[in-house]
Amino acid sequence: MLSPERLALPDYDYLAQRHVLTYMEDAVCQLLENKEDISQYGIARFFTEYFNSVCQGTHILFREFSFIQATPHNRASFLRAFWRCFRTVGKNGDLLTMKEYHCLLQLLCPDFPLELTQKAARIVLMDDAMDCLMSFSDFLFAFQIQFYYSEFLESVAAIYQDLLSGKNPNTVIVPTSSSGQHRQRPAVGEASLPEGVEASLFSQCLENLCDRHKYSCPPPALVKEVLSNVQRLTFYGFLMALSKHHGINQALGALPDRGDLMHDPAMDEELERL
Amino acid sequence: MDCQAEVNCGLHLVIQTSSLPEKNKVEFRLNKETSSFPGRLLQHDLERNYSSRQGDHINLVSSSMPSFPILQRSSEEKILYSDRLTLERQKLTVCPVIDGEEHLRLLNFQHNFITRIQNISNLQRLIFLDLYDNQIEEISGLSTLRSLRVLLLGKNRIKKISNLENLKSLDVLDLHGNQITKIENVNHLCALRVLNLARNLLSHVDNLTGLDSLTELNLRHNQITFVRDVDNLPCLQRLFLSFNNISNFESVCCLADSASLSDITFDGNPIAQESWYKHTVLQNMMQLRQLDMKRVTEEERRMASLVAKKEEEKKRESHKQSLLKEKKRLTINNVARKWDLQQHRVTSIATNQDRKDTDSPSQDSCQMDGSTISAFPEETGPLDPVLTNALQGLSVTDTHLVEVEGDTLSLYGSGALESLDRNWSVQTAGMVTTVSFTFIEFDEIVQVLPKLKMKFPNSLHLKFKETNLVMLQQFNALAQLRRIDQLTIDPQGNPVVNFTLWKYYVLFRLSHFSMQKINGTEVTQNDMIMAERLFGILAHVASSELPQYRVISILGDARKKQFRYLQETKGKKPGIVNEENNDSKRLVGENTNRAMLNYTTRDFYNEKLEEIKEKKKFCQMYIEDLVKEATEINKKNEALQKLWPQMFIELVRDAVIEIRSKNSYMKLCLQQITDQK
Repeated sequence: MLSPERLALPDYDYLAQRHVLTYMEDAVCQLLENKEDISQYGIARFFTEYFNSVCQGTHILFREFSFIQATPHNRASFLRAFWRCFRTVGKNGDLLTMKEYHCLLQLLCPDFPLELTQKAARIVLMDDAMDCLMSFSDFLFAFQIQFYYSEFLESVAAIYQDLLSGKNPNTVIVPTSSSGQHRQRPAVGEASLPEGVEASLFSQCLENLCDRHKYSCPPPALVKEVLSNVQRLTFYGFLMALSKHHGINQALGALPDRGDLMHDPAMDEELERL
Repeated sequence: MDCQAEVNCGLHLVIQTSSLPEKNKVEFRLNKETSSFPGRLLQHDLERNYSSRQGDHINLVSSSMPSFPILQRSSEEKILYSDRLTLERQKLTVCPVIDGEEHLRLLNFQHNFITRIQNISNLQRLIFLDLYDNQIEEISGLSTLRSLRVLLLGKNRIKKISNLENLKSLDVLDLHGNQITKIENVNHLCALRVLNLARNLLSHVDNLTGLDSLTELNLRHNQITFVRDVDNLPCLQRLFLSFNNISNFESVCCLADSASLSDITFDGNPIAQESWYKHTVLQNMMQLRQLDMKRVTEEERRMASLVAKKEEEKKRESHKQSLLKEKKRLTINNVARKWDLQQHRVTSIATNQDRKDTDSPSQDSCQMDGSTISAFPEETGPLDPVLTNALQGLSVTDTHLVEVEGDTLSLYGSGALESLDRNWSVQTAGMVTTVSFTFIEFDEIVQVLPKLKMKFPNSLHLKFKETNLVMLQQFNALAQLRRIDQLTIDPQGNPVVNFTLWKYYVLFRLSHFSMQKINGTEVTQNDMIMAERLFGILAHVASSELPQYRVISILGDARKKQFRYLQETKGKKPGIVNEENNDSKRLVGENTNRAMLNYTTRDFYNEKLEEIKEKKKFCQMYIEDLVKEATEINKKNEALQKLWPQMFIELVRDAVIEIRSKNSYMKLCLQQITDQK
C-alpha cells in the first residue's frame, strides 16, 4: 500500500487521482444533511459506515446522478449494483425496451439521464430500430461500456467522424478542436466510401488518445487487440466489440463474465429466504 | 242485420248490428228532433231475420233492355208498402229499373252483387238507401237524390269518397268496410250526424271541416296514426278510434281542444298499452265522460291530474339531469383539451392560436346549480403567458370536474384536486370506494394522497387515466395509502403500461396491500411469486446494504413529508396527531425493505438538489481548508524531516560546547537555579 510511486506524487495530484476529496466532501455533505439523525449515534460511526459502504459499493444506491458519475469507482459500483438487483429480470428471460431498462435504472437513481441509456441501446441495436427489445446481458455490457467510459467514447466518436470525413486528427493539431467536440458529419452522398474506417489507422489514433488524456479509458493493449482482428469497422461495431470483450470486462471488475452473469449464489440464497 | 227503421221526416233510426264474430256492437243512435213531417210515414219494423226474408211479392221481369231487369210489384204491395222496397238477397248484379215507384222513400239492396249504383235517379223522394254488402266500386248515380238522409254503403269496394255533392240533407253516411284511403269531399255535408268509416284504409284523419252537425265519427279498425281537425267539429260527441295506430297523445292533440267530445275509444292502439295512457288522456280531455266505453269517475280524474303533475315534475327533473349531464360532458371535453394543450406544450404558438379560435364559438356557458356535482371557477396557475392566452380562449368557468356517483369519486383536471379540501359529509365520504383520476398529472396526485387517505378512508379502488404515469418508480408513491384492493391504470395517457414488468413491480412494491385485481384481471399466486422473484433482491439490497444513516434519512424524509401534508389540512384535531403516529408505526410494520423505495416528484427532487448545492459548496470549501491545512502540515513535516538531521547535529554541538568548560558550566547551572527562585 505504501508504494513508492504513491508517495512520489505531489499531494494534490495524489488526492485527485484517488478521488479522495470527492468522498470526503460527500461524506461531510451527507453529515450536514442528516445531522439530527446522525448525531444520535455518533460521528465516528457515521464515517466508518460511510467509507465501509464506499468500499462495498453500496454508497451509490438511490443517490443523484452527479454523484454516481463522479468517480470511476462509483460508476463501477453502480454497474455492479444494477446487475445484482436486476439479474433476476435477465434470468427470467424477459426482453425489454430501452425505455423499460431506463425505468429500472431510475429505480436506483431517480435522475439518471435518458441520453445515456439511449446511447447504450444504440450500441446493442447498432443504431437501428430503437424500439427493439434487448436482452439483459446485451444491454448490461453495452451499458457498462457506455457509462464507465462515456468521455472516452465521446472522443472516439469525434475521431471516427474525422476519419470518415477523411481528416486525420494526428496531422492536424488545432488547440481549439479538442477531441471532446463533435465534428461535422460527412455528407450523405459519400456512398462510394466503404463502410467504417480502417482499423489500423483507427487504432493509432486511439492510442494517442489514451496517452493524452487523464480520464479512464480501456487498457490500450486490449483496445489494440480488438482492432487487430478486423480490417475495417464501424463506430458501433467497435463499441459492440468492446462491450463483448472479456478482458475489458475483467479489467473493469464490476461485472462477472458473460457466462456467469446469471449466477449469484449469495443473492439466490437471500431470495429463497424471502 | 236487424234493422229497425222509423222514418220520420226527422229520422229516428236505430240500426242494431248483431254481434258477429269480427264486428263489434255498433249502435247508431240518432235523434234529431226537428219539425216533424205531418204524421209518421212509416212504422216499419224490420226486426225479422233477414235470412228468411225474401223480397216477396216482387217480380223481376226481364225487359227489352237486356241488361237491366225491370221491377214490378203487385198493386196490393204497392199500396201496403208504398214507400219502401226491399230487394235484398236477390242475387242482383245490377240495379233494376224501378218504374212507377216515385213515392219510394226506403230502398234496400242489401246482400247483392251490385257493382254500380244505377237506375235510381228517378226516385227523387228517396230518403233511405241501403246498399250494404255489394260490390260497388265507386259512389255514383246519386246526384238526383237530394232528399237522401241515410246512405248505407258498408261492405263494398269503394276506394274514394266522391259524388256526394248534392246530398246536402245527408244525416247518416255509412262507408264502413271499404277501401277508402282519404277523407275528402264531405265538407258540404253540414247535416251529417253520423259518419262511419270503420274498417277502411285511412292512415290519418283530417279535412273534416264543414261537418257542423257531426255527432258521431266511427274510425275503428283503420291505420290511423294522427288525427287533425276534430276541434273544428262543433257537435262531435263520440269518436271511436279503436284498433288504429295511434302511439302518442301528440298525434291526437286536437282532441283536447274539442269542447263537445264526451266519449272516446282508443283501445287496440299502441297508446293504450302505455303506462301513462289513461291519465294523460284524462288530463288532457277534462270533458270526457266515457273512455273506452267505460265511465270516467271523479276518482280517476283526480288520479289523472296527480299523476300528470308527477310526470311533469319527473320531466323537469330529467331535463335538469340531462342539462347537468351535458354540462358535465362539456366540462370533461374542456379538461381534455386543456390537458392535451399541456401535454404538447412545445407545439408552436400558431397551433395554440388556431385551437383557441375554433374553440371559442363552441363554448357553452349554462348556469349551474350545485348539488353533488359542482365545478369551481378557474384559477390560473403559473403557466407561461402563451398557454394562458390559449386557455382563456377555452373556457371561463369549467376547467375541472368533481363528481360523486354512489361509490365513485371522479376527478377530472388538476383543479379538481382542491376539492379534497372540502368538508365532505361523513356519509358521502364513507360510501366512496372508488376514486378515479383523469387528466391530472400523477405528480400532482401524489401530493394529495395523504388528504385522500384521510378524507376517504374507504377508497379501495384507484383508477388512473391520462395521468402521465411514465416510470415504475411512481408507483412507490402509492404505498403510503391505507389500503388498495384494485388498481386500474388505463393505457390511454399512461405510457408505463407499455412496460412488460409494470404489473409485477406494482405487486412487489405494494405487496402489503394484497391487491386483488389489476386492470380488471385477478392477481394470482403465481403473479405474486413472480413479482417477488423479479424484484425481491432490489428490496433486499435497498434495506440491508444501505448504511444505517441512509435508512434513517430516507424513512425520515418520507415521514416528514407526510406530516407536512397532514399539517396543511384545516381544522387540525388532536386525533390527527395520534393517527399520524399510528401510521408511522404501521409504516415500520410494512415491509421496511420496501419502504426504502420512495418516489419524489421531479419538482421536489430538483428542489432538494438545489438546496443541497449550498451545502455542497460549503463542504467543498471546508474540505479544501482541511486539505490546505493538511498539506501545509505535511509540507512542514517534510521540511522538518529534511532539516532534522542538521538541527540535531546543531543541538548536540551546542550542548557539547556548553559542557566543554566544566567550571563555567557549573557556575551557569547554579546561576540558573538561583534565578529560578
